[in-house]
Amino acid sequence: MTVPAYSNEVLRRFEEPSGAGPMFGQGPDVVRGVAGDFSRGTRVEFQLRLREATIAACRFQAYGCPHVIAAASWMSERAEGVALTDLPTDFTALAVAEALDAPAEKLGPLLVVEDAFAAAVAAAQDRQAGA
Amino acid sequence: MNTRTPVYLDYAATTPVDERVAEEMCECLTRNGCYANPASSSHQPGRDARGRVEQARREVAALIGASPTEIVWTSGATESDNLAIKGAALAHADRGRHVVTSRTEHKAVLDTCRSLEQQGWDVTWLVPGEDGIVTASQVADVIREDTVLVSIMHVNNEIGVVQDVAEIGAVCRERGVIFHVDAAQSAGKVPVDVQAMSVDLLSVSGHKVYGPKGIGALFVRRGPRARLEPLIHGGGHEWGMRSGTLATHQIVGMGAAFRIAAEEFRADSIRLGDLRRKLWEGLKGLGGVWLNGDPERRIAGLLNVSFEGVEGESLLFALRDLAVSSGSACTSASREASYVLRAIGRDDQLAQSSIRFSLGRFTTASDVEFAISRVRDQVQRLRSLAPASSENLGARVS
Repeated sequence: MTVPAYSNEVLRRFEEPSGAGPMFGQGPDVVRGVAGDFSRGTRVEFQLRLREATIAACRFQAYGCPHVIAAASWMSERAEGVALTDLPTDFTALAVAEALDAPAEKLGPLLVVEDAFAAAVAAAQDRQAGA
Repeated sequence: MNTRTPVYLDYAATTPVDERVAEEMCECLTRNGCYANPASSSHQPGRDARGRVEQARREVAALIGASPTEIVWTSGATESDNLAIKGAALAHADRGRHVVTSRTEHKAVLDTCRSLEQQGWDVTWLVPGEDGIVTASQVADVIREDTVLVSIMHVNNEIGVVQDVAEIGAVCRERGVIFHVDAAQSAGKVPVDVQAMSVDLLSVSGHKVYGPKGIGALFVRRGPRARLEPLIHGGGHEWGMRSGTLATHQIVGMGAAFRIAAEEFRADSIRLGDLRRKLWEGLKGLGGVWLNGDPERRIAGLLNVSFEGVEGESLLFALRDLAVSSGSACTSASREASYVLRAIGRDDQLAQSSIRFSLGRFTTASDVEFAISRVRDQVQRLRSLAPASSENLGARVS
Protein backbone atom coordinates (compact mmCIF):
# COMPACT_ATOMS: atom_id res chain seq x y z
CA MET A 1 0.00 0.00 0.00
CA THR A 2 1.19 3.48 -0.82
CA VAL A 3 0.37 5.63 2.18
CA PRO A 4 -0.25 9.29 1.32
CA ALA A 5 1.24 12.15 3.25
CA TYR A 6 -1.01 13.36 6.02
CA SER A 7 -1.40 16.97 7.05
CA ASN A 8 -0.99 18.00 10.67
CA GLU A 9 -4.75 18.51 10.83
CA VAL A 10 -5.40 14.93 9.75
CA LEU A 11 -2.78 13.66 12.17
CA ARG A 12 -4.27 15.62 15.07
CA ARG A 13 -7.82 14.55 14.40
CA PHE A 14 -6.85 10.94 13.72
CA GLU A 15 -5.04 10.72 17.04
CA GLU A 16 -7.69 12.52 19.08
CA PRO A 17 -10.91 12.66 17.08
CA SER A 18 -13.30 14.98 18.83
CA GLY A 19 -16.87 13.73 18.55
CA ALA A 20 -15.89 10.09 18.23
CA GLY A 21 -18.22 7.72 20.15
CA PRO A 22 -19.70 6.57 22.41
CA MET A 23 -22.96 7.01 20.57
CA PHE A 24 -26.09 8.36 22.22
CA GLY A 25 -28.27 5.33 21.67
CA GLN A 26 -31.92 5.63 20.73
CA GLY A 27 -34.14 8.38 22.01
CA PRO A 28 -36.77 10.86 20.91
CA ASP A 29 -34.15 13.57 20.61
CA VAL A 30 -31.59 11.47 18.72
CA VAL A 31 -31.33 10.96 14.93
CA ARG A 32 -28.73 9.19 12.89
CA GLY A 33 -27.35 9.07 9.39
CA VAL A 34 -25.29 6.28 7.92
CA ALA A 35 -23.44 5.91 4.63
CA GLY A 36 -20.87 3.65 3.05
CA ASP A 37 -19.99 0.02 2.95
CA PHE A 38 -17.38 -1.93 4.87
CA SER A 39 -16.47 -3.97 1.81
CA ARG A 40 -15.64 -0.77 -0.07
CA GLY A 41 -13.47 0.49 2.77
CA THR A 42 -15.54 3.38 4.18
CA ARG A 43 -18.56 3.45 6.46
CA VAL A 44 -19.60 6.38 8.63
CA GLU A 45 -22.41 6.95 11.10
CA PHE A 46 -23.36 10.29 12.66
CA GLN A 47 -25.76 10.75 15.55
CA LEU A 48 -27.23 14.13 16.36
CA ARG A 49 -28.82 14.98 19.71
CA LEU A 50 -31.39 17.68 19.12
CA ARG A 51 -32.56 20.40 21.42
CA GLU A 52 -35.61 21.68 19.59
CA ALA A 53 -34.21 22.74 16.19
CA THR A 54 -30.59 22.90 17.27
CA ILE A 55 -27.85 20.26 17.14
CA ALA A 56 -26.99 20.05 20.83
CA ALA A 57 -24.35 17.41 20.33
CA CYS A 58 -22.91 15.32 17.51
CA ARG A 59 -21.16 11.96 17.69
CA PHE A 60 -19.74 9.79 14.96
CA GLN A 61 -18.26 6.38 14.32
CA ALA A 62 -16.11 5.77 11.27
CA TYR A 63 -14.51 2.87 9.50
CA GLY A 64 -12.12 4.25 6.94
CA CYS A 65 -8.78 5.78 6.20
CA PRO A 66 -7.28 8.53 8.42
CA HIS A 67 -8.82 11.23 6.22
CA VAL A 68 -12.29 9.78 6.81
CA ILE A 69 -11.86 9.75 10.59
CA ALA A 70 -10.45 13.29 10.53
CA ALA A 71 -13.27 14.51 8.26
CA ALA A 72 -15.97 13.03 10.49
CA SER A 73 -14.31 14.70 13.47
CA TRP A 74 -14.18 18.05 11.62
CA MET A 75 -17.87 17.89 10.74
CA SER A 76 -18.91 16.72 14.17
CA GLU A 77 -17.07 19.56 15.89
CA ARG A 78 -18.52 22.23 13.58
CA ALA A 79 -22.08 20.95 13.85
CA GLU A 80 -22.49 21.29 17.59
CA GLY A 81 -24.60 24.19 18.74
CA VAL A 82 -25.78 25.06 15.25
CA ALA A 83 -29.45 25.45 14.41
CA LEU A 84 -30.66 23.15 11.66
CA THR A 85 -31.74 26.19 9.69
CA ASP A 86 -28.34 27.83 10.08
CA LEU A 87 -26.09 24.98 9.02
CA PRO A 88 -23.25 26.26 6.87
CA THR A 89 -23.38 25.21 3.26
CA ASP A 90 -19.83 23.90 3.37
CA PHE A 91 -20.48 20.58 5.08
CA THR A 92 -19.19 19.01 1.90
CA ALA A 93 -16.42 16.71 0.81
CA LEU A 94 -14.74 19.55 -1.06
CA ALA A 95 -14.75 21.85 1.97
CA VAL A 96 -13.45 19.23 4.33
CA ALA A 97 -10.80 18.19 1.81
CA GLU A 98 -9.59 21.77 1.76
CA ALA A 99 -9.65 22.03 5.55
CA LEU A 100 -7.65 18.83 5.91
CA ASP A 101 -5.36 19.50 2.95
CA ALA A 102 -6.45 16.14 1.55
CA PRO A 103 -5.28 14.95 -1.87
CA ALA A 104 -7.80 14.72 -4.71
CA GLU A 105 -7.92 10.93 -4.61
CA LYS A 106 -9.47 11.15 -1.14
CA LEU A 107 -12.60 12.90 -2.39
CA GLY A 108 -14.35 9.55 -2.86
CA PRO A 109 -14.07 8.47 0.78
CA LEU A 110 -14.85 12.02 1.92
CA LEU A 111 -18.09 11.97 -0.07
CA VAL A 112 -19.19 9.08 2.13
CA VAL A 113 -18.66 11.32 5.18
CA GLU A 114 -20.68 14.06 3.50
CA ASP A 115 -23.48 11.60 2.68
CA ALA A 116 -23.65 10.27 6.24
CA PHE A 117 -23.84 13.79 7.70
CA ALA A 118 -26.43 14.87 5.16
CA ALA A 119 -28.49 11.78 6.01
CA ALA A 120 -28.38 12.69 9.70
CA VAL A 121 -29.44 16.27 8.98
CA ALA A 122 -32.27 15.03 6.75
CA ALA A 123 -33.42 12.76 9.58
CA ALA A 124 -33.31 15.72 11.98
CA GLN A 125 -35.37 17.87 9.63
CA ASP A 126 -37.90 15.06 9.21
CA ARG A 127 -38.09 14.71 12.99
CA GLN A 128 -38.66 18.44 13.34
CA ALA A 129 -41.28 18.45 10.63
CA GLY A 130 -43.13 15.65 12.37
CA ALA A 131 -42.82 17.15 15.83
CA MET B 1 10.94 -1.03 27.05
CA ASN B 2 13.76 0.77 25.23
CA THR B 3 13.01 0.14 21.57
CA ARG B 4 14.28 2.23 18.67
CA THR B 5 11.39 3.17 16.42
CA PRO B 6 10.23 2.57 13.86
CA VAL B 7 10.83 -1.10 14.48
CA TYR B 8 11.72 -2.62 11.13
CA LEU B 9 9.50 -5.64 10.38
CA ASP B 10 9.55 -5.47 6.58
CA TYR B 11 12.40 -7.84 5.75
CA ALA B 12 10.35 -9.39 2.93
CA ALA B 13 10.45 -6.02 1.16
CA THR B 14 14.18 -5.65 1.60
CA THR B 15 16.92 -6.29 4.11
CA PRO B 16 19.73 -4.07 5.35
CA VAL B 17 23.11 -4.99 3.93
CA ASP B 18 24.96 -7.10 6.48
CA GLU B 19 28.06 -5.26 7.70
CA ARG B 20 30.22 -8.23 6.69
CA VAL B 21 28.82 -7.96 3.17
CA ALA B 22 29.36 -4.21 3.01
CA GLU B 23 33.00 -4.64 3.98
CA GLU B 24 33.62 -7.00 1.06
CA MET B 25 31.76 -4.71 -1.34
CA CYS B 26 33.90 -1.76 -0.29
CA GLU B 27 37.00 -3.69 -1.34
CA CYS B 28 35.82 -3.46 -4.96
CA LEU B 29 35.10 0.24 -5.35
CA THR B 30 38.04 2.58 -4.93
CA ARG B 31 41.47 2.79 -6.58
CA ASN B 32 43.12 0.72 -3.87
CA GLY B 33 40.56 -2.00 -4.40
CA CYS B 34 39.33 -4.42 -7.02
CA TYR B 35 37.67 -1.84 -9.25
CA ALA B 36 38.74 -2.92 -12.73
CA ASN B 37 36.40 -4.23 -15.39
CA PRO B 38 36.09 -8.00 -14.97
CA ALA B 39 35.98 -8.29 -18.76
CA SER B 40 39.47 -6.75 -19.06
CA SER B 41 41.40 -10.00 -19.21
CA SER B 42 44.45 -8.29 -20.71
CA HIS B 43 45.70 -6.99 -17.36
CA GLN B 44 46.02 -8.16 -13.77
CA PRO B 45 43.49 -5.75 -12.17
CA GLY B 46 40.89 -6.99 -14.64
CA ARG B 47 41.79 -10.59 -13.92
CA ASP B 48 41.58 -9.88 -10.16
CA ALA B 49 38.09 -8.45 -10.59
CA ARG B 50 37.11 -11.47 -12.67
CA GLY B 51 38.39 -13.67 -9.85
CA ARG B 52 36.12 -11.94 -7.35
CA VAL B 53 33.15 -12.24 -9.71
CA GLU B 54 33.77 -15.95 -10.22
CA GLN B 55 34.17 -16.54 -6.48
CA ALA B 56 30.79 -14.86 -5.96
CA ARG B 57 29.30 -16.98 -8.73
CA ARG B 58 30.46 -20.10 -6.88
CA GLU B 59 28.94 -18.80 -3.62
CA VAL B 60 25.55 -18.13 -5.20
CA ALA B 61 25.59 -21.46 -7.02
CA ALA B 62 26.45 -23.32 -3.81
CA LEU B 63 23.39 -22.05 -1.97
CA ILE B 64 21.00 -23.43 -4.60
CA GLY B 65 22.82 -26.62 -5.60
CA ALA B 66 23.84 -25.32 -9.02
CA SER B 67 27.05 -25.33 -11.03
CA PRO B 68 28.73 -21.89 -11.21
CA THR B 69 28.43 -21.90 -15.00
CA GLU B 70 24.67 -22.01 -14.60
CA ILE B 71 24.52 -18.61 -12.84
CA VAL B 72 23.78 -15.52 -14.96
CA TRP B 73 24.09 -12.13 -13.26
CA THR B 74 21.16 -9.73 -13.64
CA SER B 75 20.04 -6.49 -12.02
CA GLY B 76 17.66 -8.28 -9.67
CA ALA B 77 14.87 -10.82 -9.46
CA THR B 78 12.55 -8.75 -11.67
CA GLU B 79 15.03 -8.86 -14.52
CA SER B 80 15.67 -12.55 -13.82
CA ASP B 81 11.94 -13.26 -14.07
CA ASN B 82 11.70 -11.30 -17.31
CA LEU B 83 14.70 -13.05 -18.81
CA ALA B 84 13.44 -16.47 -17.76
CA ILE B 85 9.86 -16.08 -18.94
CA LYS B 86 10.26 -13.97 -22.07
CA GLY B 87 13.59 -15.57 -22.91
CA ALA B 88 12.23 -19.11 -22.71
CA ALA B 89 8.96 -18.26 -24.43
CA LEU B 90 10.76 -16.60 -27.33
CA ALA B 91 13.37 -19.32 -27.65
CA HIS B 92 10.72 -22.05 -27.75
CA ALA B 93 7.99 -20.26 -29.68
CA ASP B 94 8.37 -22.80 -32.49
CA ARG B 95 7.23 -25.55 -30.07
CA GLY B 96 4.19 -23.75 -28.69
CA ARG B 97 2.83 -20.57 -27.19
CA HIS B 98 1.23 -21.68 -23.95
CA VAL B 99 2.50 -20.63 -20.51
CA VAL B 100 1.21 -21.69 -17.06
CA THR B 101 1.49 -19.58 -13.91
CA SER B 102 -0.59 -18.73 -10.85
CA ARG B 103 -2.65 -15.73 -9.77
CA THR B 104 -0.55 -15.17 -6.64
CA GLU B 105 2.83 -14.73 -8.31
CA HIS B 106 4.90 -11.60 -7.83
CA LYS B 107 4.08 -8.76 -10.20
CA ALA B 108 7.38 -9.37 -11.96
CA VAL B 109 5.95 -12.69 -13.15
CA LEU B 110 2.32 -11.60 -13.57
CA ASP B 111 3.13 -8.55 -15.65
CA THR B 112 5.67 -10.44 -17.75
CA CYS B 113 3.11 -13.14 -18.52
CA ARG B 114 0.53 -10.47 -19.33
CA SER B 115 3.02 -8.97 -21.74
CA LEU B 116 3.33 -12.33 -23.47
CA GLU B 117 -0.45 -12.61 -23.53
CA GLN B 118 -0.63 -9.28 -25.35
CA GLN B 119 1.84 -10.62 -27.89
CA GLY B 120 -0.30 -13.66 -28.65
CA TRP B 121 0.77 -16.25 -26.09
CA ASP B 122 -1.93 -18.14 -24.22
CA VAL B 123 -1.50 -18.01 -20.44
CA THR B 124 -3.27 -20.26 -17.93
CA TRP B 125 -3.64 -18.56 -14.54
CA LEU B 126 -3.95 -21.16 -11.78
CA VAL B 127 -5.88 -20.24 -8.63
CA PRO B 128 -4.36 -21.59 -5.40
CA GLY B 129 -6.42 -23.06 -2.59
CA GLU B 130 -7.41 -21.10 0.51
CA ASP B 131 -4.06 -22.11 1.99
CA GLY B 132 -2.27 -20.32 -0.86
CA ILE B 133 -0.87 -23.57 -2.26
CA VAL B 134 -0.82 -24.52 -5.96
CA THR B 135 -0.75 -28.29 -6.29
CA ALA B 136 1.23 -30.35 -8.78
CA SER B 137 -2.00 -31.94 -10.00
CA GLN B 138 -3.38 -28.48 -10.84
CA VAL B 139 -0.32 -27.92 -12.99
CA ALA B 140 -0.49 -31.38 -14.56
CA ASP B 141 -4.14 -30.85 -15.49
CA VAL B 142 -3.47 -27.74 -17.57
CA ILE B 143 -0.25 -28.71 -19.37
CA ARG B 144 -0.96 -29.11 -23.10
CA GLU B 145 0.93 -30.15 -26.20
CA ASP B 146 1.86 -26.53 -26.85
CA THR B 147 2.89 -25.67 -23.25
CA VAL B 148 6.47 -24.44 -23.20
CA LEU B 149 6.83 -22.96 -19.70
CA VAL B 150 5.47 -23.25 -16.16
CA SER B 151 6.37 -20.45 -13.73
CA ILE B 152 5.51 -20.96 -10.05
CA MET B 153 7.13 -19.09 -7.17
CA HIS B 154 8.79 -20.97 -4.31
CA VAL B 155 7.72 -18.70 -1.43
CA ASN B 156 4.94 -16.15 -1.75
CA ASN B 157 6.10 -12.63 -0.99
CA GLU B 158 2.85 -11.55 0.69
CA ILE B 159 1.79 -14.53 2.76
CA GLY B 160 4.99 -16.56 3.00
CA VAL B 161 3.62 -19.96 2.04
CA VAL B 162 6.06 -22.47 0.55
CA GLN B 163 5.00 -24.18 -2.65
CA ASP B 164 5.95 -27.79 -3.30
CA VAL B 165 8.11 -26.92 -6.28
CA ALA B 166 9.79 -30.35 -6.31
CA GLU B 167 6.47 -32.03 -7.10
CA ILE B 168 5.62 -29.43 -9.72
CA GLY B 169 9.13 -29.75 -11.14
CA ALA B 170 8.73 -33.51 -11.48
CA VAL B 171 5.51 -33.00 -13.45
CA CYS B 172 7.18 -30.49 -15.75
CA ARG B 173 10.23 -32.69 -16.29
CA GLU B 174 8.03 -35.68 -17.15
CA ARG B 175 5.99 -33.63 -19.62
CA GLY B 176 9.01 -31.92 -21.20
CA VAL B 177 8.03 -28.42 -20.09
CA ILE B 178 10.52 -25.79 -18.89
CA PHE B 179 10.03 -24.98 -15.20
CA HIS B 180 10.84 -21.52 -13.84
CA VAL B 181 10.79 -20.70 -10.13
CA ASP B 182 10.90 -17.23 -8.61
CA ALA B 183 12.96 -17.91 -5.49
CA ALA B 184 13.50 -14.29 -4.44
CA GLN B 185 11.78 -14.93 -1.10
CA SER B 186 13.11 -18.42 -0.47
CA ALA B 187 16.83 -18.42 -1.21
CA GLY B 188 18.67 -18.03 2.07
CA LYS B 189 15.53 -18.77 4.09
CA VAL B 190 14.65 -22.37 3.22
CA PRO B 191 16.71 -25.06 1.45
CA VAL B 192 16.79 -24.56 -2.33
CA ASP B 193 18.16 -27.37 -4.49
CA VAL B 194 17.66 -26.94 -8.21
CA GLN B 195 18.50 -30.60 -8.80
CA ALA B 196 16.03 -32.05 -6.30
CA MET B 197 13.38 -29.57 -7.48
CA SER B 198 13.88 -30.32 -11.19
CA VAL B 199 14.04 -26.60 -11.84
CA ASP B 200 15.28 -25.30 -15.20
CA LEU B 201 15.30 -21.57 -14.44
CA LEU B 202 15.39 -19.95 -10.99
CA SER B 203 15.41 -16.27 -10.07
CA VAL B 204 17.21 -14.94 -7.00
CA SER B 205 17.89 -11.50 -5.59
CA GLY B 206 20.71 -9.98 -3.55
CA HIS B 207 18.78 -7.56 -1.39
CA LYS B 208 16.38 -10.08 0.14
CA VAL B 209 19.34 -11.90 1.71
CA TYR B 210 21.22 -8.99 3.38
CA GLY B 211 23.06 -8.20 0.16
CA PRO B 212 22.86 -5.05 -1.97
CA LYS B 213 19.99 -3.89 -4.15
CA GLY B 214 20.50 -3.83 -7.91
CA ILE B 215 21.93 -7.30 -8.26
CA GLY B 216 20.32 -10.66 -8.87
CA ALA B 217 20.92 -13.85 -10.75
CA LEU B 218 19.16 -16.37 -12.90
CA PHE B 219 20.00 -20.05 -12.70
CA VAL B 220 19.90 -21.46 -16.23
CA ARG B 221 20.18 -25.23 -16.38
CA ARG B 222 22.95 -26.57 -18.60
CA GLY B 223 21.88 -30.19 -18.68
CA PRO B 224 19.32 -30.60 -20.05
CA ARG B 225 19.97 -27.15 -21.41
CA ALA B 226 17.31 -24.50 -20.96
CA ARG B 227 17.54 -22.29 -24.05
CA LEU B 228 16.87 -18.58 -23.63
CA GLU B 229 16.57 -15.69 -26.04
CA PRO B 230 18.51 -12.80 -24.44
CA LEU B 231 16.67 -9.58 -23.69
CA ILE B 232 19.73 -7.34 -23.44
CA HIS B 233 22.27 -7.41 -26.26
CA GLY B 234 25.70 -5.81 -26.50
CA GLY B 235 29.05 -7.38 -25.71
CA GLY B 236 28.02 -10.97 -25.19
CA HIS B 237 28.64 -11.04 -21.43
CA GLU B 238 27.27 -13.93 -19.39
CA TRP B 239 27.48 -16.43 -22.25
CA GLY B 240 25.51 -14.05 -24.43
CA MET B 241 22.47 -14.24 -22.18
CA ARG B 242 22.84 -10.85 -20.48
CA SER B 243 25.20 -8.26 -21.84
CA GLY B 244 26.56 -5.36 -19.83
CA THR B 245 29.62 -4.60 -17.71
CA LEU B 246 29.51 -6.66 -14.55
CA ALA B 247 29.11 -4.64 -11.33
CA THR B 248 31.90 -6.25 -9.34
CA HIS B 249 31.01 -4.70 -5.97
CA GLN B 250 27.34 -5.69 -6.29
CA ILE B 251 28.21 -9.19 -7.39
CA VAL B 252 30.75 -9.63 -4.60
CA GLY B 253 28.12 -8.39 -2.15
CA MET B 254 25.58 -10.89 -3.38
CA GLY B 255 28.12 -13.68 -3.20
CA ALA B 256 29.06 -12.80 0.36
CA ALA B 257 25.41 -12.54 1.34
CA PHE B 258 24.65 -15.97 -0.08
CA ARG B 259 27.75 -17.49 1.57
CA ILE B 260 26.70 -16.09 4.97
CA ALA B 261 23.12 -17.24 4.39
CA ALA B 262 24.32 -20.76 3.67
CA GLU B 263 26.16 -20.78 6.98
CA GLU B 264 23.45 -19.17 9.09
CA PHE B 265 19.98 -19.65 7.64
CA ARG B 266 19.15 -22.81 9.55
CA ALA B 267 19.88 -21.23 12.93
CA ASP B 268 18.14 -18.02 11.80
CA SER B 269 15.06 -19.99 10.82
CA ILE B 270 14.72 -21.62 14.22
CA ARG B 271 15.05 -18.28 16.00
CA LEU B 272 12.70 -16.47 13.62
CA GLY B 273 10.14 -19.26 13.79
CA ASP B 274 10.03 -18.85 17.56
CA LEU B 275 9.62 -15.07 17.23
CA ARG B 276 6.89 -15.45 14.60
CA ARG B 277 4.94 -17.84 16.80
CA LYS B 278 5.31 -15.43 19.71
CA LEU B 279 3.96 -12.63 17.50
CA TRP B 280 1.00 -14.70 16.37
CA GLU B 281 0.18 -15.78 19.93
CA GLY B 282 0.26 -12.15 20.99
CA LEU B 283 -2.03 -10.99 18.19
CA LYS B 284 -4.63 -13.71 17.95
CA GLY B 285 -5.85 -13.02 21.48
CA LEU B 286 -7.40 -9.81 20.13
CA GLY B 287 -10.12 -11.87 18.45
CA GLY B 288 -11.27 -11.30 14.89
CA VAL B 289 -7.74 -11.92 13.66
CA TRP B 290 -7.10 -14.12 10.63
CA LEU B 291 -3.84 -15.75 9.64
CA ASN B 292 -3.41 -15.64 5.87
CA GLY B 293 -1.88 -18.67 4.21
CA ASP B 294 -1.14 -22.17 5.38
CA PRO B 295 -0.20 -22.12 9.09
CA GLU B 296 2.62 -24.66 8.72
CA ARG B 297 3.95 -24.52 5.15
CA ARG B 298 5.52 -21.09 5.47
CA ILE B 299 8.90 -19.48 5.89
CA ALA B 300 9.94 -18.82 9.46
CA GLY B 301 9.87 -15.04 9.52
CA LEU B 302 6.70 -14.02 7.72
CA LEU B 303 3.25 -13.52 9.22
CA ASN B 304 0.35 -12.03 7.26
CA VAL B 305 -2.67 -11.19 9.37
CA SER B 306 -6.08 -9.65 8.64
CA PHE B 307 -8.00 -7.77 11.32
CA GLU B 308 -11.80 -7.69 11.36
CA GLY B 309 -13.37 -4.30 11.80
CA VAL B 310 -10.23 -2.27 11.09
CA GLU B 311 -9.52 -0.39 7.88
CA GLY B 312 -6.12 -1.12 6.41
CA GLU B 313 -4.74 2.36 5.75
CA SER B 314 -5.75 3.62 9.17
CA LEU B 315 -4.16 0.59 10.76
CA LEU B 316 -0.96 1.08 8.82
CA PHE B 317 -0.86 4.76 9.79
CA ALA B 318 -1.67 3.99 13.42
CA LEU B 319 1.21 1.53 13.39
CA ARG B 320 3.76 3.99 12.07
CA ASP B 321 6.09 3.03 14.91
CA LEU B 322 6.38 -0.23 13.00
CA ALA B 323 7.82 -0.51 9.50
CA VAL B 324 5.35 -3.07 8.14
CA SER B 325 3.48 -3.38 4.87
CA SER B 326 -0.06 -3.87 3.71
CA GLY B 327 -1.28 -5.25 0.44
CA SER B 328 -4.21 -2.97 -0.11
CA ALA B 329 -4.38 0.41 -1.79
CA CYS B 330 -6.66 3.23 -0.76
CA THR B 331 -6.94 5.80 -3.48
CA SER B 332 -10.66 6.03 -4.06
CA ALA B 333 -14.01 5.17 -2.55
CA SER B 334 -13.51 1.67 -3.88
CA ARG B 335 -10.23 0.23 -2.59
CA GLU B 336 -8.12 -2.26 -4.44
CA ALA B 337 -7.50 -5.12 -2.06
CA SER B 338 -4.46 -7.38 -2.16
CA TYR B 339 -4.74 -9.56 -5.24
CA VAL B 340 -3.03 -12.40 -3.39
CA LEU B 341 -5.51 -12.35 -0.52
CA ARG B 342 -8.45 -12.06 -2.93
CA ALA B 343 -7.09 -15.03 -4.89
CA ILE B 344 -7.06 -17.21 -1.77
CA GLY B 345 -10.65 -16.25 -0.99
CA ARG B 346 -10.45 -13.50 1.61
CA ASP B 347 -13.36 -11.07 1.41
CA ASP B 348 -12.76 -7.41 0.58
CA GLN B 349 -12.74 -6.20 4.18
CA LEU B 350 -10.23 -8.76 5.37
CA ALA B 351 -8.11 -8.36 2.27
CA GLN B 352 -7.99 -4.60 2.88
CA SER B 353 -7.05 -4.90 6.54
CA SER B 354 -4.05 -7.19 6.19
CA ILE B 355 -0.65 -6.43 7.61
CA ARG B 356 2.49 -8.30 6.63
CA PHE B 357 5.02 -8.65 9.42
CA SER B 358 8.32 -9.98 8.14
CA LEU B 359 11.05 -10.64 10.66
CA GLY B 360 14.72 -10.98 9.91
CA ARG B 361 18.29 -11.40 11.07
CA PHE B 362 18.28 -8.32 13.27
CA THR B 363 14.79 -8.67 14.78
CA THR B 364 14.83 -9.10 18.55
CA ALA B 365 12.36 -10.47 21.07
CA SER B 366 11.80 -6.95 22.40
CA ASP B 367 10.96 -5.77 18.85
CA VAL B 368 8.24 -8.42 18.71
CA GLU B 369 6.94 -7.53 22.17
CA PHE B 370 6.76 -3.87 21.13
CA ALA B 371 4.91 -4.82 17.94
CA ILE B 372 2.37 -6.91 19.85
CA SER B 373 1.72 -4.07 22.26
CA ARG B 374 1.32 -1.45 19.51
CA VAL B 375 -0.94 -3.61 17.37
CA ARG B 376 -3.18 -4.59 20.27
CA ASP B 377 -3.58 -0.96 21.39
CA GLN B 378 -4.25 0.43 17.93
CA VAL B 379 -6.58 -2.33 16.73
CA GLN B 380 -8.66 -1.90 19.87
CA ARG B 381 -8.69 1.90 19.44
CA LEU B 382 -9.72 1.76 15.78
CA ARG B 383 -12.38 -0.85 16.47
CA SER B 384 -13.82 1.43 19.15
CA LEU B 385 -14.11 4.21 16.54
CA ALA B 386 -15.87 2.03 13.97
CA PRO B 387 -19.60 1.51 13.60
CA ALA B 388 -21.05 -1.92 14.24
CA SER B 389 -20.53 -4.21 11.29
CA SER B 390 -23.86 -6.01 11.70
CA GLU B 391 -25.61 -3.53 9.42
CA ASN B 392 -24.16 -2.63 6.09
CA LEU B 393 -26.22 -0.23 4.06
CA GLY B 394 -25.66 2.18 1.22
CA ALA B 395 -26.92 5.26 3.06
CA ARG B 396 -29.78 5.48 5.45
CA VAL B 397 -31.46 7.65 8.02
CA SER B 398 -33.55 6.89 11.05
